[in-house]
Amino acid sequence: MFHIAKRERFIITFLIPTFIFFSVFTLYPIVRGMHISLFDWSGSSEFMTYVGVQNFVDMLHDPIVWTAIKNDYSLVLGKVIGIMILATFFAVAITRFRLRGTGFFRMIFFMPNIISAVVIGVLWRFIYNPNIGFLNAILSLFTKQPIRTPWLGQEDTALWSILWPSIWAGVGFYFLLLMAAILSVPTSLYEAAEIDGATQSRQFWSITVPLIWEQMKISILHIVMTTLNGSFVMVWIMTEGGPDNSTQVMGSYLYQMGFRQYHMGYASAIGVLILFMSLITTLIFQRLLRRDEVQLS
Amino acid sequence: MKKQTKLFVVMTLTLSLILSIAGCSGTDSSSSKKKSNGLTANGLAGDFEIQYFVGGYGDAWWKDTIEQFQKLHPDLTIKQSAGPKINDQMKPRWIQGNPPDVVYIDGSGSNPRQMMDDHQLLDVTDWIKDAKNIDGEKLIDLMITEPEVYSGKTYTIPLVFGAYGNFYDQAFFDKNGWSVPQDYSSFLALSEKIKAAGISPYIHPGVYPEYIHGGFLFPAIISANGDHGEILKEMGDLKAGIFKSEPVMKALNQLSEISKLGYIDQASPAINHTDSQMLFLQHKAAFIPNGLWLESEMKNDTPADFKFGYIPSLTQSKGGKLIAIPYSTTLAIAKKAKNPEAAKAFIQFVFKKKNALNWAEKTGALMNVKTDLDSSEASPVAKTAMKFYNSDHTLVAPVVVFNSDVEKVMKDATIALTVGKIKPEEWAERVEAAAAKARK
Repeated sequence: MFHIAKRERFIITFLIPTFIFFSVFTLYPIVRGMHISLFDWSGSSEFMTYVGVQNFVDMLHDPIVWTAIKNDYSLVLGKVIGIMILATFFAVAITRFRLRGTGFFRMIFFMPNIISAVVIGVLWRFIYNPNIGFLNAILSLFTKQPIRTPWLGQEDTALWSILWPSIWAGVGFYFLLLMAAILSVPTSLYEAAEIDGATQSRQFWSITVPLIWEQMKISILHIVMTTLNGSFVMVWIMTEGGPDNSTQVMGSYLYQMGFRQYHMGYASAIGVLILFMSLITTLIFQRLLRRDEVQLS
Repeated sequence: MKKQTKLFVVMTLTLSLILSIAGCSGTDSSSSKKKSNGLTANGLAGDFEIQYFVGGYGDAWWKDTIEQFQKLHPDLTIKQSAGPKINDQMKPRWIQGNPPDVVYIDGSGSNPRQMMDDHQLLDVTDWIKDAKNIDGEKLIDLMITEPEVYSGKTYTIPLVFGAYGNFYDQAFFDKNGWSVPQDYSSFLALSEKIKAAGISPYIHPGVYPEYIHGGFLFPAIISANGDHGEILKEMGDLKAGIFKSEPVMKALNQLSEISKLGYIDQASPAINHTDSQMLFLQHKAAFIPNGLWLESEMKNDTPADFKFGYIPSLTQSKGGKLIAIPYSTTLAIAKKAKNPEAAKAFIQFVFKKKNALNWAEKTGALMNVKTDLDSSEASPVAKTAMKFYNSDHTLVAPVVVFNSDVEKVMKDATIALTVGKIKPEEWAERVEAAAAKARK
């Protein structure tokens, strides 16, 4: 009995400090944000007016919120597909096709991950610059007239133009994750498959994918979460939500409303929306991706 | 026993959570030991706090001026709350109702209109009418632009003065034999020539539409209003129907026209101020709407043979006045200032010609005081601009700060108009709707 109590006291000494920090820096802001979302507050005033769920009702009638949600999910979908295809392809190519210079590719692909998102945004803004940008210069090599497409300045290309750098910046990390997963698959399995006459693609679908499914699932969920919570940076640096709100995502609209237009209550309501959207989306994805686990005996 | 331990754990955790939350939301109730304010034989006494943002203008002028003010009032304990992040740092104190006495409203995170709406600033309508500086001159008479009147009241006093306008490279114009257009029709004619030469006539930072508002749209509205600047005030006051009025529609049509004619550089909607200024310096475009800070901002990137030229507006009809849309950053007294007497005395101390010259020399920009700049170190563009503003042929519009919701809608609509997504009528509808919402 005494022994157990001592053990639990030991555990508590570890739990409490962590829990205090968690409460102060995570729980408190969430609760406070939810609280503020029920008020009409400028974010700088002494006075807050309680408005109940009015901010949420207003959100329903705000077309920009709907644009933002649509854009957020376009980015989620685009990034999940883009990053997963590229990361898996590169990981398989390097581990299974026994390419030379593995270390070099690993470094190259991982490079964007160590550059700050702000730098990436600024860099790509230069690439997209209509007059002096790299992209138009390359395209102009193939046309008679120099191309002057304002990639970030027209509504039908702006969001796509934000998607590519996001994929480019994200591939490296997931590539490493999947590569490590593939390397942990025993080579004897592949050898056995080869003896049985399985083609490379057969090996990929029947051995690689089932055995690295857990890592693929984690990658997808991670992309979903980071996109819903973090697409703000890219959007803000590259377009600030423009032109005419066509690239607004929930995060950028939150910032716009809270810090540029002084509606902190409304911004908090958008924050609450992001929280619930992320929760629901993650749950749905988790459901969709559920598969019988394959374990090596 | 085990149950008890569990209960203990849960209770400790809950308690720590409650404590942490309570700790965060507690208000700062520290009562500073106040010295009594008032007048002593040595001038003013008590505590006096100034909040000022330190950005492009630096803090040399502030330190200098405050030091002189201190010498005048040795019994006054002056606290300077300053820095590039000061607006964020002081925000909790404004929220708690414990603001400084005087605030210089500039930099990110500050908005004078919002401070008025939040009832944070002292109403100085009556005081400013007769306030005199220590040389006995009336402040109002000294100012280039008068304090903004918001719903019939004055809360802020413009300290820094500048104006938007259109910039060009005089040397480049001379080389090509182009002359600077004095009215809208000659601007169109010249633009055709410039376009034929393979250069964009006009470029602007579409990410920040306030530039094209200040350099093109707003002057056009005032010109269309028979050179009467009041219309801008009415727009600022969100008068019903003002955004559909004839002068506004006429100006929108002008903007729509130059966009349809392809005079606005295609890059514009996607670029920010630095990008657009770089392209302008590289002669990719002939004109750029900008503010008087442009020359010093681009000092390090300007080619040696580049000669900045400035004209306030391009949209006036033949014989019409040039229209300059001013901007200003302002000083204000907090409504809850603990030492309003010292705050007023400080403002009266600041607004004198000597301080204005000092400002021009320390910052290269203009203080909102009519002075002779020729002897000062102000930039050549600032000096030319000053000559425009002193001329009868130029109208300096009133300073107007827009409601931020309406301004955002207006900016979005302007960009949509310049890319041909919407027509002037839709611009008017959008902004009228936003104004109606903001009036509620």
